Amino acid sequence: MTETVDRKTPAGEMVLSLRGISKSFGAVSALTDIDLDVHAGEVVALVGDNGAGKSTLVKTLAGVHQPTAGTITFRGQPVTMTDPSAALNLGIATVFQDLALCENLDVVANIFLGRELKPMQLDETAMEVRSWTLLNELSARIPSVRIPIASLSGGQRQTVAIARSLLLEPKLILLDEPTAALGVAQTAEVLNLIERVRDRGLGVIMISHNMEDVRAVADRIVVLRLGRNNGVFYPDATNQELVGAITGAVDNSVTRREERRHAEQQLSEGGQL
Amino acid sequence: MTGNVNDNALPAVMLDRSDERLKHEAGIGGAVRGFIDRVRSGDLGSLPVVVGLVLIWTVFASLNPIFLSSNNLVNLLFDCSTVGVIALGIVCVLMVGEIDLSVGSISGFASAIVGTLWVNQGWPVALAILAAVAVGGLIGSLYALLYNRLGMPSFVATLSGLLAVLGMQLYILGSTGSINLPYGSAMVNFGQMLVMPRLLAHVLAVVPGVVMLATGIRTISRRREANLSAPSLGSIVLRAVATTLVLEIIVLYLNQDRGIPWMFGLFVGLVMLMNYALTRTQWGRSMTAVGGNREAARRAGINVRRIYASAFVLCSMLAALGGVLSASRLASASQQAGTGDVNLNAIAAAVIGGTSLFGGRGNAYSALLGIIVIQSIANGLTLLDLSSSLRYMITGGVLAIAVIVDSLARRSRVSHGRA
Ligand SMILES: Nc1ncnc2c1ncn2[C@@H]1O[C@H](COP(=O)(O)OP(=O)(O)OP(=O)(O)O)[C@@H](O)[C@H]1O
Ligand SMILES: [Mg+2]
Repeated sequence: MTETVDRKTPAGEMVLSLRGISKSFGAVSALTDIDLDVHAGEVVALVGDNGAGKSTLVKTLAGVHQPTAGTITFRGQPVTMTDPSAALNLGIATVFQDLALCENLDVVANIFLGRELKPMQLDETAMEVRSWTLLNELSARIPSVRIPIASLSGGQRQTVAIARSLLLEPKLILLDEPTAALGVAQTAEVLNLIERVRDRGLGVIMISHNMEDVRAVADRIVVLRLGRNNGVFYPDATNQELVGAITGAVDNSVTRREERRHAEQQLSEGGQL
Repeated sequence: MTGNVNDNALPAVMLDRSDERLKHEAGIGGAVRGFIDRVRSGDLGSLPVVVGLVLIWTVFASLNPIFLSSNNLVNLLFDCSTVGVIALGIVCVLMVGEIDLSVGSISGFASAIVGTLWVNQGWPVALAILAAVAVGGLIGSLYALLYNRLGMPSFVATLSGLLAVLGMQLYILGSTGSINLPYGSAMVNFGQMLVMPRLLAHVLAVVPGVVMLATGIRTISRRREANLSAPSLGSIVLRAVATTLVLEIIVLYLNQDRGIPWMFGLFVGLVMLMNYALTRTQWGRSMTAVGGNREAARRAGINVRRIYASAFVLCSMLAALGGVLSASRLASASQQAGTGDVNLNAIAAAVIGGTSLFGGRGNAYSALLGIIVIQSIANGLTLLDLSSSLRYMITGGVLAIAVIVDSLARRSRVSHGRA
């Protein structure tokens, strides 16, 4: 987190480029005409209010939903992802907001689900070792990887989901609120990890409601509002600007508080004079 | 990594034993305590059915000593094999949280096909059997098509299949009504009297123990190498020896009469094959995942439709094979074959054996254990000269108990975090 100057101009090639992506569920337009670019070695934060369409956008990129209109270009090639395995094969790994884990399977089975080693005679030992390596990288606090997901806490499950996304050495990682349920140490570890994968040249899209986390790791902040693009910011943008873009209102309690503090500051400065 | 306390701790700590909250149970005592813990939290496995079986056998043996005679038990094994193979298919569809209500009809249709092609049309028997099993597979793929492409619930699709396939069975038997299979032919002998040579049975009974021991030792050395905790050699030896001992005693006892039926050998072989496929292959893992959380499995890149298709096709093929076996057992292919309680017995066997109706939990051995329970009840009541009305009532009661145990265990697992 040293070279802030550097981070404004992503040098890497374009990993992902969306043009005019729309998605409607029946009468509801969840996404309208979304444009988004992600470069290699860049962290793009996706922010917006509840229901702004962030998860829908991520699911569209993960092949869970198919867009109603628009084009997705991945590493220079236009792609259509008909199902999640297509996205996985391209090198797009996703941590979903609802995690999408199988509660009846244990941690190892979940991490390797669909990508088991030696399909005809599962290599449990190798899979367990790899799982521990991934989990330790995330400072996971998981007592055993041989217990079903059902017996893990929310944060532990989230760590498992993140570990799973790292298994395949993807080109692009989509993290839908990856730190929502995490403790202090684990959040720091995930943010560290995001920086590490960025430094390895991966593209990262991170959704978060925590502006502190967003500012800490994001190179660019893309705001969605009611399913539309509502501005692109850099981490040095003020809270007021961000909140304004997210809520669409210039006047709300956050901006008011900010203004009050500003005014008080000026007042006290004025008093000192 | 962050320089936390763990880094200064013992360097030799095993990968999976670094969390101090985890109780470390070592050796045989630990294995036993672990088992008790699992049962308490609702992870019952095969325990209820084993307890139930002991109970049923004790009651019948005390009412009629003939029940436990080796002659009767050999008969029991012959009877188990036919519906048991069908139940094995049911385990497959239950694993993915679906059902096939038409297995009885498919088995009847398959026996009719064998009878018609072999006896009436003069096909070689092997080819007739193959054709019957292939037709089963075809019916299964039709169900898969209806389920995957049209979103038809398997309950409804297979219910209409039950009627339609029964209709086909009656249609091809039409003019004759029933076809007798020639006595003395290999197929009928297989279903009625072929047993393993005594020595071979004893040798085969050693195999599971040896395999257990070999894979156990291999696992221990591989896990030690990878710095993972490993089960103790003692507990593995104990399990292998106990298994071998139990199997040898069973073989010894049954060898006093005719011995182990080949048909039962085939059934157990299929059960073991299915057990391997479900627990040790990617396909089995995907089956469990799809049964547990279909959407999560899809998002993990599993081809969910193919998994459903494999379950339906396998179930129908095993149902057809079961039908062929019962035709050879009865030496006939009749309009009654596969009707009556075949359907429900097969489903009940899988559930009684411990495969959950809710999907994602179960194992191949539940078909074996469940069908032994059901056939024991039928056999015991027949020995007591009690009518089939009572048999239906008791089997129904046992099934209800099994489903109650399944539901309660599920609730207990949820509250103990072992879903
Ligand atoms: N499968 C679906 N069917 C119908 N409508 C949907 C579906 N998924 C999402 N929506 C709608 O799309 C809109 C955007 O939802 P989305 O989950 O993308 O929001 P989000 O930005 O992720 O919100 P949050 O911050 O609460 O996670 C919502 O209005 C939601 O009701
Ligand atoms: Mg969301």
